[in-house]
Amino acid sequence: MESNKKYWKGLEELQKTPDFVEKNKGEFAEPLPIEEVLNEAGLSTITPRRDFLKAMGFGLGAVTLAACQTAPVHKSIPYLIKPEEVVPGIPNYYTSTYNGHSVLVKTREGRPIKIEGNPNCLLSKGRLDANGQASVLDLYDVSKLKNPVLNNNERASWAEVDQFVVTELNKLVGKKIRIVSSTLNSPSGKAVVADFITKYPNTKHIQVDAVSYSGIIKANEVSFGKAVLPHYAIDKADVIVSFGADFLGTWISPVEFNRQYVSNRNGASLAKKKMSRHIQFETGMSLTGSNADARILIKPSEQGIALLSLYSALGGTVSAPQKLTNNPKAAAAISIAAKELAGAKGRALVVCGSNDTSTQVVVNAINSLLGSYGTTIDLDNPSFQHAGSDADFVDFMNEAKRGEVGAVIFLNSNPGYDYVNPKEFTEAINKIPLKISFADRKDETASLCQVIAPNHHYLESWNDSNPFEGYYTIGQPTINPIYNTRSAEQGLLIWAGNPVKDYYQYIQNNWAKTVLAASGKTWKELLQTGSVYLGAKPSATSAFAGDVNAASQAILTNSSNLAKGASKDTVELQVYQNVSIGDGKAANNPWLQELPDPVSKVTWDNYIAISPKYAEKLGYAEYDLVKVTKDDYSVILPLLFQPGQAQGTISIAVGYGRTHAGKAAKEVGKNAYPFLSFINGTLQTTSRVTLSSTGELPYELARTQTHHTIEGRNIIRETTLKQYLQDPTSGTGKHFQNKVGLWKEYEHPGHKWVMAIDLNACTGCGACVVACNVENNIPVVGRDEVRRRREMHWIRVDRYYSFEEKGNSVTEENEINHMEDADNVSVVYQPMLCQHCDHAPCETVCPVLATVHSSEGLSHMAYNRCIGTRYCANNCPYKVRRFNWFNYWNDSRFENYMNNEFTQLVLNPDVTTRSRGVMEKCSMCIQRIQAGKLTAKLDKRKVVDGEIQVACQQTCPTNAIIFGDLNDPTSQVAKALSSERTYYVLEEINTQPGIGYQTKVRNTAEA
Amino acid sequence: MSSHNESILREPLITGENITYAKVTNDILVPVENKPNKAWWIGFTVAALGALLWLVSVSYTFWFGIGTWGLNKTVGWAWDITGFVWWVGIGHAGTLISAVLLLFRQNWRNSINRSAEAMTIFAVICAATYIVAHMGRPWMAYWALPLPNQFGSLWVNFNSPLVWDVFAISTYFSVSLLFWYTGLIPDIATIRDRAKGLKRRIYSVLSFGWNGNVKSWQRFEAVSLILAGVSTPLVLSVHTIVSMDFATSVIPGWHTTIFPPYFVAGAIFSGFAMVQTLLLIARKVLGYENYITMFHIESMNKIIILTGSIVGVAYLTELFIAWYSGAEYEQYAFLNRVSGPYWWAYWSMMTCNVISPQLFWFKKIRTSIAASWILSIVVNIGMWFERFVIIVTSLHRDYLPSSWVMFYPSWVDVAVFIGSIGVFFTLFLLFLRVLPAIAMAEVKLLLKSSSDQAKQKLIREGLVKRVDAEYYLGSLEKYDSVEYEKSVPQAEYVKH
Repeated sequence: MESNKKYWKGLEELQKTPDFVEKNKGEFAEPLPIEEVLNEAGLSTITPRRDFLKAMGFGLGAVTLAACQTAPVHKSIPYLIKPEEVVPGIPNYYTSTYNGHSVLVKTREGRPIKIEGNPNCLLSKGRLDANGQASVLDLYDVSKLKNPVLNNNERASWAEVDQFVVTELNKLVGKKIRIVSSTLNSPSGKAVVADFITKYPNTKHIQVDAVSYSGIIKANEVSFGKAVLPHYAIDKADVIVSFGADFLGTWISPVEFNRQYVSNRNGASLAKKKMSRHIQFETGMSLTGSNADARILIKPSEQGIALLSLYSALGGTVSAPQKLTNNPKAAAAISIAAKELAGAKGRALVVCGSNDTSTQVVVNAINSLLGSYGTTIDLDNPSFQHAGSDADFVDFMNEAKRGEVGAVIFLNSNPGYDYVNPKEFTEAINKIPLKISFADRKDETASLCQVIAPNHHYLESWNDSNPFEGYYTIGQPTINPIYNTRSAEQGLLIWAGNPVKDYYQYIQNNWAKTVLAASGKTWKELLQTGSVYLGAKPSATSAFAGDVNAASQAILTNSSNLAKGASKDTVELQVYQNVSIGDGKAANNPWLQELPDPVSKVTWDNYIAISPKYAEKLGYAEYDLVKVTKDDYSVILPLLFQPGQAQGTISIAVGYGRTHAGKAAKEVGKNAYPFLSFINGTLQTTSRVTLSSTGELPYELARTQTHHTIEGRNIIRETTLKQYLQDPTSGTGKHFQNKVGLWKEYEHPGHKWVMAIDLNACTGCGACVVACNVENNIPVVGRDEVRRRREMHWIRVDRYYSFEEKGNSVTEENEINHMEDADNVSVVYQPMLCQHCDHAPCETVCPVLATVHSSEGLSHMAYNRCIGTRYCANNCPYKVRRFNWFNYWNDSRFENYMNNEFTQLVLNPDVTTRSRGVMEKCSMCIQRIQAGKLTAKLDKRKVVDGEIQVACQQTCPTNAIIFGDLNDPTSQVAKALSSERTYYVLEEINTQPGIGYQTKVRNTAEA
Repeated sequence: MSSHNESILREPLITGENITYAKVTNDILVPVENKPNKAWWIGFTVAALGALLWLVSVSYTFWFGIGTWGLNKTVGWAWDITGFVWWVGIGHAGTLISAVLLLFRQNWRNSINRSAEAMTIFAVICAATYIVAHMGRPWMAYWALPLPNQFGSLWVNFNSPLVWDVFAISTYFSVSLLFWYTGLIPDIATIRDRAKGLKRRIYSVLSFGWNGNVKSWQRFEAVSLILAGVSTPLVLSVHTIVSMDFATSVIPGWHTTIFPPYFVAGAIFSGFAMVQTLLLIARKVLGYENYITMFHIESMNKIIILTGSIVGVAYLTELFIAWYSGAEYEQYAFLNRVSGPYWWAYWSMMTCNVISPQLFWFKKIRTSIAASWILSIVVNIGMWFERFVIIVTSLHRDYLPSSWVMFYPSWVDVAVFIGSIGVFFTLFLLFLRVLPAIAMAEVKLLLKSSSDQAKQKLIREGLVKRVDAEYYLGSLEKYDSVEYEKSVPQAEYVKH
């Protein structure tokens, strides 16, 4: 269809004006200003091409520059081929063995980050002490050797070392070879040594421990013909009398003893109306003494006499009966102890920390009278935890001095530091042509050796142990060797030319032949359970055949030597191990250096413990630097006023003054091993020393607690067993009933996480502190910062003294200062951590809501939100909040494991490290709670009580800490908190804490 | 004017002969319009060195962390918050003088309000620096403000007294600044009118085009009154809220209901002491004796004795209540203050704040310039100790004896504090150079009624009774700016 319609654009078109016609000729009605654009003027008015290019160039450049900021480099490398058993973010647990204890090693993405006790372990029952907890850090110790050392060549190869050693060993004709090790209770290790001896028959294996138990072993040989360290069963003893044996702290097997000891004193035992009685006679205040029901001060010179008088009091006959004439208090206590022991025959135990054979013979005689053998002491299933012989080592020294020894191999032993006379030792071994050390670092002994063949850390190697008769544990590596190290046993196998060159294979063969054959278990089952118990041997009767009269003579001579020439300046010295550093092997572990001594709360130093009254008499003030001299050895150490230290005595801890252990151990304390005395074939921890003033400025010890009494406050509530039996609520005080509250009550619809801490179960050992450090990436701040009172520990163990005077307990400082006799000290420990108050004073004052309450009853801390006003810490009545004063993980001034890229590997990836300027505190291991809840959710079930364990609870050797859900009435924690003994610290200020404490019960004598 | 002459019995607020409006302007603008003298340069150099010390020590703190201070796990606040409260307290006199005294028509405030307000502003600046400096992460300081943000639903905690503090201090600072600047406008215009060149242009901008017409003055008066009304509650609220930082906590020695009035009294006490410290020097050095007279000094001393006594009563009340409460921790906290390891701080506080101001009961002492100045310093020291006692001795021994500690300041603590004094004086000395230290316009208001020359004129004209004239002339004896011997014969003019 056509249309003739024509649309016109305007009247001009319709009328066809000439103007229009003219304009309509071209393509465009109006001419385009092309000329204008192309000439100069046009270019300058409209955006010219060059400007456009300039703008483009600048824009591109600016964008490029802006993009040049270095993007953070994430050094995470995905698995190319993912190992089947490793899931990023999910920890793996492996069984291993630490110090005879079967442990579980938690690894994350292939690196071990935490050690926990293996619940199957007969010694620890899943618990671990501070040393065990801290041992994982030693794996990442940068002070360790990275390669074998051959004649000062620090980059020697293993082939060179092996060739050198084998050539040198084969050159030795007629000369003796000596393997000097600390206690070796590894069955495979012993077999390796035996094989080595077969190859080199002039070899002898000498075991020597820094702190030795050879006195007990020798005494048992003399008394019963069994040269063994017995296995004690403290849980079977209703009456325990200890003469200076720190069995809860350091003596023989503390983790096991803690558990056994507390099993007769904890809530469960009290519910059965039963509590053991513990009397401690000692010189310095030990952890064990601080837990005793009665603690009596004796000088080291009085110890033997006290034992002899106890023996007489129990009806033992001795030609010259002894009495403690100079110490009437102790004499009275001996007769009370005798009465109590006699009343508990077969349920009694007497132990003594002395390493003197004669003293231990008397102890054996007493235990024999009490019928302890076969009940509380097992000689037929002995402990192999300590087998060192002081006499053997002295023999070795004499051989070396005579030039008879051609080669010596040091295995896990460091006499260059811990022998009584390091100078004599150096001279002696310089006469030995071939000196080999298996030390993991160039320690005091290794630095004297031509060959250092660095041993693996226990987490890098296969190993096994046999801590007591019939009980075997296996250790497996949890990480590839970090440095170029080699298992010591493997070295011995190679040097002995053993057909089996691989120690792993050797262990398997050895176990297949022995333990696995006897138990019928497979290797795989063994690795899953971690240990095998073959059962106890039947015990034979042990008739005491020792000579008490002869022992008595030796004791008296020894005592009179110790007490000889008592004057103003000469005092009796007791050398001891403290809980954190022990014998000094782990001195380079910053966690342990910063773990306060349970009693004195001193970190990063050893010191002279002295009674305040006695020091006053000598004219010294606390922290005065005093010179201690014995023969030609002397050290200068600060004085620490220790209530409960016997008058006329001092105590010094060993394990300090390491010179070649590494950065953390450097310039920490002084070596006290030279103060030991070699008497009658054993190294004894007592000696007579001279004190002299140095006149130097006082040296302030870094202590985490500087006020020592509760000032009459009811934060510690305690009772006696007698009162408890009459009224289980006795001592819990008036309970605060909250009627009016300013804040709205929180509802806890799901879980309500709470904790119960039994003051009667807590022995104060400090394992929880280190476990918390490891779990929660807690910075180590060093001595100076502890001095400034800035340690970062989320959990601490408060220690309070109280002083008995005329039957009253005195806790106020100004009264104590005026007391005539301040020797009757009792001690109480109170683990203190964030109480997760329902009415938390910290939460209300935070201006930015960085700390808030969860619906599960936890007080949360959001580090990212914190601006660091510290108001919360000020307002916390429990003073458990810790402020990041510095950037501890990135400030080179701190001896902090977090500062090193390598040691950082120990950090728990589930817990963030905190920057400076933010507050932190106990989170109740929220990462563990979260993990437990997630596991339960994946399994579509409720969280089972006990499934989630917080780090401090998990490691507590005595189960003093119970964590759980209060909303579950059947939970352990709900039951514990419903105990009549429960009270809440500072409940009267209505903080409504989530942690309940159970009263301390003391089994004091009826006066 | 003659229709309502001020009573002859009132002491003069301006002394000197032949005082004219022009002379007032000339006298007051001496430091602004002339090159600084040697005394100013010495003062400024010392103060600027102090400010430099502050810069160094605060930078050091920011670089390394709060660990450079002496604080520890138990004592989380010490010199920082002591300094903060001290400075906020000092600031109080300014507002009291400018607002409360204005509302109560205390004309004598006209000579001192300008400096006092300037002092307030500088003191609050010093206090505010402490708020930021004491934070662990000062770069996050703005999180304390309720700002809309993209972090999620993050908001401030309105339960926290620190948030109240943020509001209190910022309100206080802005209102004080506004009040001060409003009062300055006519005076700035005066400087503008007398200045030349660049200076004129600057003052011109600053004067907001003030032209001095009647409408302007009317509005000026109205705004002053409104601002005075707004500021008056702040005099009470700011230090009340500061005191709540402590009063709402659970720490014995902090948890005290008496704190708000006690803190306000203490603040005014310390504020007047600081005004006294500054003005006694300024009037001498700048030659303001005729405008800041002995009457002003004596009046301020009277306020010091009043507020000092209130504070003293508060101290004793605290002790009594601690004993009377029977609360164990409370009792210990106060026993520890009086006789614990920081007993010297408590007794310094008691001596400086309670005992020494009582000397002002003696007229000789309160009209002595030297004694007034020394005592004003003593009061400032005492008030610093008061805050130290409250903060440190309460914290260092609170509930659990295991955490009891001692606090020892580090060099940085001391440097930040001394430095903040340097900052304060630097600002104050600069203020003296660029702005009139006395409100010229307001002083001129008094010239016709409350000046000595006006009153002498009344006497000469025989408009007052002889007995009143004698009383008046007798009251001039204390004035260091009046030649007493010369003025007494004036009495002969009196007819009756």
